[in-house]
Amino acid sequence: MTSEEIKKIVTEKFPDKLKEAKILGFEPSFIVEKGTLLEVCRFVKESKELSFDLLSCMSGADYPDRFEMVYLLFSFSRKHKMSLKVQLPKDNPEVESATAVWKGADWYEREIAELLGIKFKNHPDLRPLLLPEDWNEGYPLRKDWTGKDFIKMPDVK
Amino acid sequence: MNQEISEIYTEEFFVNMGPQHPSTHGVLRLLLKMDGEVVLDMVPHVGYLHRSMEKIAENRTYYQYIPYTDRIDYVSAMFCNQAFCMAMEKLANVPVPERAEYIRIIMVELNRIASHLIWLGTFSLDLGAITPFLYCFREREKILDLFEMVCGQRMTFNYMRVGGVSRDITPEFVPMTKEFVNYFLPRVDEYEDILTQNPIFLSRTKGVGLLDQKTAIENGVTGPSLRGTGLKWDLRKDEPYSVYDKFNFDIPTGENSDVWDRYMVRIQEMRESAKIVQQALEKIPEGPIKTKTAAVFKPPAGEVYVRIEAPRGEMGFYIVSDGSPKPYRVKIRTGSFSNLTVLPIISRGWKIADLVAIFGSLDVVLPEVDR
Repeated sequence: MTSEEIKKIVTEKFPDKLKEAKILGFEPSFIVEKGTLLEVCRFVKESKELSFDLLSCMSGADYPDRFEMVYLLFSFSRKHKMSLKVQLPKDNPEVESATAVWKGADWYEREIAELLGIKFKNHPDLRPLLLPEDWNEGYPLRKDWTGKDFIKMPDVK
Repeated sequence: MNQEISEIYTEEFFVNMGPQHPSTHGVLRLLLKMDGEVVLDMVPHVGYLHRSMEKIAENRTYYQYIPYTDRIDYVSAMFCNQAFCMAMEKLANVPVPERAEYIRIIMVELNRIASHLIWLGTFSLDLGAITPFLYCFREREKILDLFEMVCGQRMTFNYMRVGGVSRDITPEFVPMTKEFVNYFLPRVDEYEDILTQNPIFLSRTKGVGLLDQKTAIENGVTGPSLRGTGLKWDLRKDEPYSVYDKFNFDIPTGENSDVWDRYMVRIQEMRESAKIVQQALEKIPEGPIKTKTAAVFKPPAGEVYVRIEAPRGEMGFYIVSDGSPKPYRVKIRTGSFSNLTVLPIISRGWKIADLVAIFGSLDVVLPEVDR
C-alpha cells in the first residue's frame, strides 16, 4: 500500500486526533494525541488492510518544550511502513505502554524509561536495563543532564 | 537405603550463568531457574558493556561519530558504518557515486562472511566441535587481510564516509579477492562436511529451540533467526538499498525454525555473500569514490530512519537533526537487542546444555545490545 493510501485509512478512522509529522524513510508519520495512542496502535496492528505486525524501532527524544516518543512500524504481510509519534509534557512524562500491542516494545521501553525518565503505564516489568544497579545520577539522555565524568565537547561552527 | 527414588526430596533452584562465561560471547548474565538440568525460566541481565553510545553521539559532530559506530558491533563494523552514512546521506540528500556503492557492497558482504565465520566457529565450539573453529578463523584471517589492505584496519574500519568511502581499493585488491572467493566456496562445503549431517551435531540441534514465526515477529526478531522460521524477508531483496538490485542472489530460509535451520540459513548466506562479491568484482565501474562534502557537515533539520540488513538482523539509525553540526538525537536499532528478548521464551523447558546451543544459534553480540 502506498503512503497516501495508509494516510487516508488512518485519518478517516481517527479524524482530528492526528497531526502530520515527517520522518524520512518511514512515511507516513503522524503525531498522535497521548490519550488515543493505544487505540491507534491497536487499530493499525489489527486492521486487515494495514496489519503493522513489526515494531521495527522505538525511541524517545528530549526537546526544549516536550518529550517525544517515536514508533517505527512495518508490516511483513503488506510490505509497507509508517511511523507514529506522541508528545509528552516536560513535567511528569507518562504514556501507556505499547507492550499490550507489540511485545517487542518491552526492552525498548525499559531502556527509554531508564535513560530518558519517561514512565510507561501498565508495563509488565519496568526494571532498569542498561545502567549499573546503583546508578543515581538521573537520566543521561536528557539534554540538561550532567554527570561527574561528562565533558561537553567544544561547539563547532 | 530402601527409599524409593520418587520420595527423594527435590526443589527448584537458581543458577547464575555469566557475566563471565565462555558461551555467553561477551558479557551477559542469565539468571536461571532450574529443575535439575531443565531450565524452567530465565531472566537475562544486560548492560555490562553499556558505553552510552547514544549520548556520545549528541556530543560529537557527525563525522567524529563514524569511528564510534565501528564499536557498536565490532564483529561487523562495516555495516554500522554503512547504516550511519546512509542515514546521513538520506538526511542531507547526498548522492553516492556508483563505484563507491560497489566498493561498499564488496566490503559489507566480505564482512558478513567474516561475521558469520566468527559465529560458526564459536557456535560449533559451544557444541564441542573444535576443528570448525580453527577452520573458520583461518578463513576469516584472509578477509581481515583484505580489509587491512584497503583501509588499514582489521576490526574497526572507519572506512565509509558521507557520500562514499575514505579510500579507493588498491590494484591488488581485485585479483586477491577473486582468489579468496574461489578459495572460500569449497571451504564452506568443508564446514558442512564436518557439521551438517554429523549425528552428534544433529541430535544437539534438530528440533531444539523452536522459535515460531508469530513469536519472532511479535518480539521484533529479524535477520537469519527470522529467516530460519521460513519467512523470506531480506531488506537487500525486498527493500533494495545501495545497488543490491543489480545482483543475483537467493534468500535462504528454514522450515522447522529450530537451531539447525538457523545454522543452515547462515551457512547458505555465506555462499550467497560470496556470490555477490564475485558479481560486484566483475561489474565494478570506474569513477570517483566520494562525493565532495563540506568540511563541517550540517544536514538540514529533520528526522530520518534508515535500516539495512546486517548479519544479526535489521540495523537502523534514527537521527534527529536540528541543523547544527552535531546530531540532536541518535537512536541505534540493532538486531541482537530484539533477538535476545526471545531467548527466555524459546529456551524454557530445555536442558542447560541446549540453552547454550539455542543462545549460540541466535548469534547475539553483546556490545550491540548494550551500546
